[in-house]
Amino acid sequence: MSQTATATFLLETRGTSHDLGAFVVAARFSRDGTRLGFGMGDGAVWQMRVDGWVDGDPAWAKVDVHDGAILSFAIDPAGGGFISGGDDGQVKRTDAHGAVTDVASFGMKWVENIATHALEKGKGLIAASAGKIVRLFDQAGTQLKELTHPSTVTGLAFDGKGKRIGASHYNGVSLWFVAAKTDTPRKLEWKGSHTGIAIHPEGEAVVSAMQENSLHGWKLPDGQHMRMSGYPSKTAALSFSRNGKWLATSGADAMVLWPFFGGGPMGKAPLELAGGDGIICTQVAANPVNDVVAGGFADGLVVLADIQSSRIVPIVPPEHGPISALAWSSDGTKLAVGTETGFAAVIDLAKR
Amino acid sequence: MADSNAQVPVTVLTGYLGAGKTTLLNRILTEQHGRKYAVVINEFGELGVDNDLVVDTDEEVFEMNNGCICCTVRGDLIRIVGGLMKRRDKFDGIIIETTGLANPAPVAQTFFVDEDVKAKTRLDAIVTVVDAKHLPARLADSHEAADQIAFADVIILNKTDLVTPAELEQVEAMIRQINRFAVIHRTQRSAVAIEQVLNQGAFDLARILEMKPDFLGEDDHEHNDDISSMSFEVEAPIDPEKFNAWIGLLLQEKGQDLLRTKGILNYANEDRRFAFQAVHMIADGDFIGPWKDGDQRVSRLVFIGRNLNRPQLRRGFEGCAAD
Repeated sequence: MSQTATATFLLETRGTSHDLGAFVVAARFSRDGTRLGFGMGDGAVWQMRVDGWVDGDPAWAKVDVHDGAILSFAIDPAGGGFISGGDDGQVKRTDAHGAVTDVASFGMKWVENIATHALEKGKGLIAASAGKIVRLFDQAGTQLKELTHPSTVTGLAFDGKGKRIGASHYNGVSLWFVAAKTDTPRKLEWKGSHTGIAIHPEGEAVVSAMQENSLHGWKLPDGQHMRMSGYPSKTAALSFSRNGKWLATSGADAMVLWPFFGGGPMGKAPLELAGGDGIICTQVAANPVNDVVAGGFADGLVVLADIQSSRIVPIVPPEHGPISALAWSSDGTKLAVGTETGFAAVIDLAKR
Repeated sequence: MADSNAQVPVTVLTGYLGAGKTTLLNRILTEQHGRKYAVVINEFGELGVDNDLVVDTDEEVFEMNNGCICCTVRGDLIRIVGGLMKRRDKFDGIIIETTGLANPAPVAQTFFVDEDVKAKTRLDAIVTVVDAKHLPARLADSHEAADQIAFADVIILNKTDLVTPAELEQVEAMIRQINRFAVIHRTQRSAVAIEQVLNQGAFDLARILEMKPDFLGEDDHEHNDDISSMSFEVEAPIDPEKFNAWIGLLLQEKGQDLLRTKGILNYANEDRRFAFQAVHMIADGDFIGPWKDGDQRVSRLVFIGRNLNRPQLRRGFEGCAAD
């Protein structure tokens, strides 16, 4: 996008940034929206005060949580903090004030995936995986069940209501009912190595990323197969738009959005946004309120794209390392950014 | 391979249970070398680790859906390399210990096939530990023992104190029959200097330049099932298009029999050396440093595998000479 060379990046006018000194693995806004958390490759959790930033004091603060790298990071469904999993085999909770408590231990196994789901009245679910095992906890950390898979779990996702949890692994995906008395998964099978998972917000489909630079999907409830291919590299990020109309994905030299309406994605061409530079898109995040998607690229560029008009708004200039994390606040007004080299930022995009 | 300095070197340690792998690993980890390694293992042994990171994994081998029947990779290694690259403390090397009966191909192919792994790491050497006393029996009763030797860049011929000098010569001859290109270190209790095991640069192939081609007669044909190794030399500059066409077809047709193929090529009108390597059907190539003044500019190619047809391979390679 040659126009970005002269464009104003919104980071300068509407953002704040901080050097976190390590690989940013993931960013999340807390359930109550008052904190922005970053899970880091040096085992730390960084938090900034979203509420304080409004008054000019973001109060960036670091807490050492894991002995090693954080590999997975999610909101704490019980409150204002975060849940993290590390290569030290531990699942930890960091509260809004930086106090750290243990949730679970998987011994020597890396805790590669965590998914959480906030329910009403401060309740919620925490799922963590290490190797073939997924453990499911309530918001307090009481273990509800342990689910065993045929091979290592590579991705975890709850459905929109927190009734089901999906796990990707070799040769497909397992879908489990959280509240089932007897645990038998619905197996969605497709040969090969599935490396990540997303569930349609209305429960109409499950999509996995695959080792061979493609996506595989299953329509629900019939399980009809969908194949989405043509990526030059692996897809690391899958993000459904607010009503599930679009699935935004990384792995190409543009944000690739597959239509999940009008019979799509089968037989439909995807929408390609912010492409043309030959730089791989490494992260995408669909806005939870509007039909807008954020994309981060290997050169450090972050842009917003309006899905209807394909209009592009530059956010972060390509100067701070490959984008490794993107996240939206639940009201859709703030975008968090993290990079492999430790740059972190938040941009306020609310109408003024 | 121009930026190989930025890539973390990976050493793969193979060998039968009881050959001395764990002893060697312990030597590497306890020696005062001031370097930091990540060690990927399958079962916890008595590992002495101070400064190093031990990663416990289950070998998960899967087939790629890329239309290539023998392309299998280790999914667990792809995830582990991805995870290690997120850590703040960078490693001087990664050491992967395979289970005793493991076929080395999936480990090696992982470093050719996965883009992220290729970008961050380079396969430095496959090191195979063999037991001088029991190797003949192993070779007689299993495919894997021969495969592990065939894949090796470095062979630790261990437990030499348990055999007579004559037996030792015999065992070494058996190894040479399979793989005449690997470096062999004779050891007792896996005692070998770690600089002879780690950072070998074996996969950047420079050593091949120093290898002599084998001028053996045409009659040294092998039994069909036996693994052997052959090298070829072409003095005339090579036409890259002809070479790619020939080697591509060869790997496609015979890839299952060709365990390892490696070479240094003297391309016509090119001042840099081209390094080529393949594991079964999966090939990779890149320019490495320039030919030095005084270097003899010849192309050399090495094959290790089953059913190698010397005249056919030689004619094919010679046919790649530029017009």
